[in-house]
Amino acid sequence: MATLPKTKPLPGSLLGAFFHAWTWRMAWRDSRQQRGRLSLYALSIAAGISALVGIHTLKTSVQHGIETQAKALLGADLLISSRRPIGEEIFAKMPSEVRKTGRETAFSSMVSIPTGERSRLVQVRAVAGGYPFYATVETEPPEVWGRLQTGGGILVEGALLEEFGLAVGDWLKLGARELRVLGVVKKGVPRSNRFSGFAPEVFIWHEDLASTGLAGGNSLVYHHRSLLLEAGSAKELSAVVSTIMGFFPERGVEFQTPEKRREAVGESLNRVNEYLGITALVALVLGGIGVAGAMHAHLKRRAQAVAVLLCLGCSTHMAFAVYLAQAGALGLAGSGVGTVLGAVLHAVVVVAAGDSLPVYVSPWPEPGITLLSGGTGFLLCCGFSLLPLLQIRNIPPGATLSERPGARMGGDWATRGVCALLVLLVFGVALFNGATPRRALALTFGLSFAFLALAGAAQGLMYLTKRFLRPAWPYLLRQGISNLYRPHNQTVLFLLSLGLGIFLLLTSWGVRTLLVRQMRFDAGGNGPNLYLVDVQPDQVEAVSGLLHAQQLPLIDSAPMVTMRIASVKGRQLEARAARKSESEAAGAQADAQRVPRWVMEREYRSTYRACLNATETLVAGELSSVAGGPDAAVPVSLEQGLARDLGVEVGDTMVLDVQGVLLNARVSSLRKVDWSKFNLNFFMVFPPGVLEGAPQFQLLATRIPAGQTSGQLQRALLGLAPNVSAVDLTSILSTVAALLEKAVRIVQILSGFTLAAGVPVLLGALLNGREQRVRESVLLRTLGASERQVRTILLVEYATLGALSALAGSALAIGAQVAMARWIFHSPPGLDWAWLAAAFFGAVLASSLAGLALSRGICKHSPLLLLRGNG
Amino acid sequence: MYIVEQGISMADPVFPPLQPPVLEVRNLVKTYTEAGSALTVLSDIQLRVRAGETCAIVGPSGSGKTTLLGLCAGLDDATSGSVLLDGQALENLAQDGRAALRGRCVGFVFQNFQLIPTLTALENVLVPLELRGDSAGRPLAEALLKRVGLGERMGHYPSQLSGGEQQRVALARAFVRPPKILFADEPTGNLDAATSAPVVEMLFALNRESGTALVLVTHDPVLAARAGRIISMRAGRIVSEEHTGHGHTA
Repeated sequence: MATLPKTKPLPGSLLGAFFHAWTWRMAWRDSRQQRGRLSLYALSIAAGISALVGIHTLKTSVQHGIETQAKALLGADLLISSRRPIGEEIFAKMPSEVRKTGRETAFSSMVSIPTGERSRLVQVRAVAGGYPFYATVETEPPEVWGRLQTGGGILVEGALLEEFGLAVGDWLKLGARELRVLGVVKKGVPRSNRFSGFAPEVFIWHEDLASTGLAGGNSLVYHHRSLLLEAGSAKELSAVVSTIMGFFPERGVEFQTPEKRREAVGESLNRVNEYLGITALVALVLGGIGVAGAMHAHLKRRAQAVAVLLCLGCSTHMAFAVYLAQAGALGLAGSGVGTVLGAVLHAVVVVAAGDSLPVYVSPWPEPGITLLSGGTGFLLCCGFSLLPLLQIRNIPPGATLSERPGARMGGDWATRGVCALLVLLVFGVALFNGATPRRALALTFGLSFAFLALAGAAQGLMYLTKRFLRPAWPYLLRQGISNLYRPHNQTVLFLLSLGLGIFLLLTSWGVRTLLVRQMRFDAGGNGPNLYLVDVQPDQVEAVSGLLHAQQLPLIDSAPMVTMRIASVKGRQLEARAARKSESEAAGAQADAQRVPRWVMEREYRSTYRACLNATETLVAGELSSVAGGPDAAVPVSLEQGLARDLGVEVGDTMVLDVQGVLLNARVSSLRKVDWSKFNLNFFMVFPPGVLEGAPQFQLLATRIPAGQTSGQLQRALLGLAPNVSAVDLTSILSTVAALLEKAVRIVQILSGFTLAAGVPVLLGALLNGREQRVRESVLLRTLGASERQVRTILLVEYATLGALSALAGSALAIGAQVAMARWIFHSPPGLDWAWLAAAFFGAVLASSLAGLALSRGICKHSPLLLLRGNG
Repeated sequence: MYIVEQGISMADPVFPPLQPPVLEVRNLVKTYTEAGSALTVLSDIQLRVRAGETCAIVGPSGSGKTTLLGLCAGLDDATSGSVLLDGQALENLAQDGRAALRGRCVGFVFQNFQLIPTLTALENVLVPLELRGDSAGRPLAEALLKRVGLGERMGHYPSQLSGGEQQRVALARAFVRPPKILFADEPTGNLDAATSAPVVEMLFALNRESGTALVLVTHDPVLAARAGRIISMRAGRIVSEEHTGHGHTA
């Protein structure tokens, strides 16, 4: 007998095999001559993971910034706001925990250079009392924030000085007062009004306010009191805040705490976060498809090697472990590259966003979330590579003896298990991306449906081509098309990978369009672009005359009455709001929790008229033009979104608090309002004959022609009716546009990554069929086919595959966009047919070019090498 | 150095009949069913091969030679009947059990060599040892490669070797862990006469030295004649058996 060395048997279990040294040695050796292809595998996932990492680090950094800077966002422990002056006597009774109080009066007005040549709408903030307590105000020159409190000066934003061509030390006129520009505020003063985001802010000393003559009679004045409390635990602070709230039993007083501000800022980012989450998921799933395609192609090439290993005594577990190790190592490499790219993406987005982020965000991503995102991407990558890896189990060792059909995906428990795992992973990543469980489920379902639909379309296509192909067709066309159903066809794989890729890319773009459209205001057309607010009834005639004198049209006018909602369908809303603010929401009724807080707490500016305007559509009930009897509930028309938030329908009752007078109302109709048009639109419209006696003011709308400014009108108004505020949308729109462009830039950067993730998918799909097509084409050439004929056959096949993949992917994307527009964005789908057509022809072109590129390779291939089996 | 173990055949009166066979095939049937129609490629095959015996299977294309070889090595499942390899019934073993059995006592030489293209010649030869967990087999693999005349080409990949050289690497791989039985499927089918000769010499020399039983599928009558027994197949059946006189000592 032969004397054999002692041996240690290789492990029998998959886990043992995976961690055995031979597995990794073999995986390394086996990767030789394949590393170019395998790096494609790594690249497939890198783009997806980079998008995931970039988005998560950005989101986390912003959230972290909001968490840590919440007090700085508010500047105080408690901000009390009211449209009416807040009585000083209350502050004498405040608990001892109140260490300091600050005071601010804010309103919109015009600021001009003393000669009156130029003017601009600004948000005036008259401050006193050391506010802000938590933020450090940065000014240029430094330390002038303190000098403001000596009076006679004004601090402005840098852009305003640039616009006026002024410098620090020059004079500005605010109302009746001229003030010296002390400096420029760079950052650090928390915003107190939502509206203030649109107009540049100027700061004056509160004592100077009276001398401007602007504070009295302006209904858009906000009075704020900021409080600095004794340091204590969150519970203690909450108790003090509750006590202080008790001092203001009257309505119309709003309270903001750092927590509330944090929530508000967080909510404003939610929609963008949601889109970014979808983008990351799309990029990652595309990467996953790329991984599956590239791995499938790789294993197809390695099937003979696996068969040889099995012949030589290698267990299926060991063979599986070898390729799992390869997939794992490459996934790790791809994840590493993706994570680094994601960190770079984070920095790029932070720099691109500039100051438009609500808090300071470091360009350095947080290491924890970076690694977690990279790890999540790696996990998904491994999950997607498992599907093709399962084929190893179906490679027969007998493949070494004769060429047999390649291993196929089986419908066994393992395949089903991996599919279920993938669905779970996608669901998990969707959740990780910040989607609600319901939305994550919808996304996962949508992707799974798309996958199955494409697989079904591929099967149907093969059936149809086989059935309808006619022998009379030209040979080259017949040959190219019949490649779609012949053995070794790539129809299913191509439709799944390219079709799904196109579907995901188009859907991602569609969501971007929906999002951008939702953010974008329409300033075009002949709608109004300047509002005159707070025109008292006795001033309407004079102001209208002024417009006429300046040849400006009076496009629209409406009376405006402020009110709040007291109860809906007999239930008190105010009580519920109070409970919620006191963190006792747990005991509140479920329906109360569904009503957004702003709906309950806000002040509504309502109007009365007998008909709809051009931007309104009646969706339910009838608009009442008469008030009804003296004891009957007043019919009111609600905007449909408000009705949905309140949970009311036509016929339901409400009680409205009209500046202290309770008014019984009945919902008589629901209106759909196009808010993107700047017409005079209202949440509630009453019939004439009800509100005429209530304190009110008039709102007039006009349009400043293009190329002109509202300066002349505003200067004239200062003399005629100084309490009237002009809200100039032309300047607001330019500010909004600038902010929007930054947001769009970020969205585009991230969409670019999704597109980048799609490229390896196409390459993976091509590689899948390359071996077979090379072999067939070389045989055709050997039998006398010209290079042109070979190319034509491939072109027909790939153009058809590209067209059908694009068709199937586009059809699914249209369905997805319609569904998302309806259920997520609540807006019309607004399909971009030009983009759809571009994507369709782009896919056909890319597929055809790829087919041609493939044929170039084929024509360079040595038939001899191929016939020897080394090609 | 390998110690030669004598091959014994039940059909050969020279050897004691009690020696157990290394391969025993009983009533073997293989039928392929596709699109509802059945095609029987092997019918009622009986075969016994003893240690050290050399046996050639010949027959026209499509007679079932390669299918029989694959079933004997456990590379495929029989429709009915039984294959006992080294005393173990293959039909009772799962894929991994058969792989382990092949790892212990089976060697292969294929018509198209079947070297792993990403491994060098030396690494290809080392694979069977590594699969047994033998980490000290490198000198043995090197010695075998030198023996087949490839001492200078150990670091070459299969694509850098000629057909004859590749088949010699395959021979070294088959004998690096002396198998109880070697299955050779047309070992010279892809080689010309001049290249075939040294390969055939080496095949029989290594077989003789290691005492391995050899089952050889071939179209080549000269090669078949070097085996101790020639089994002729036609239409999936064994139609004749002939003893050449070369026996196990060929």
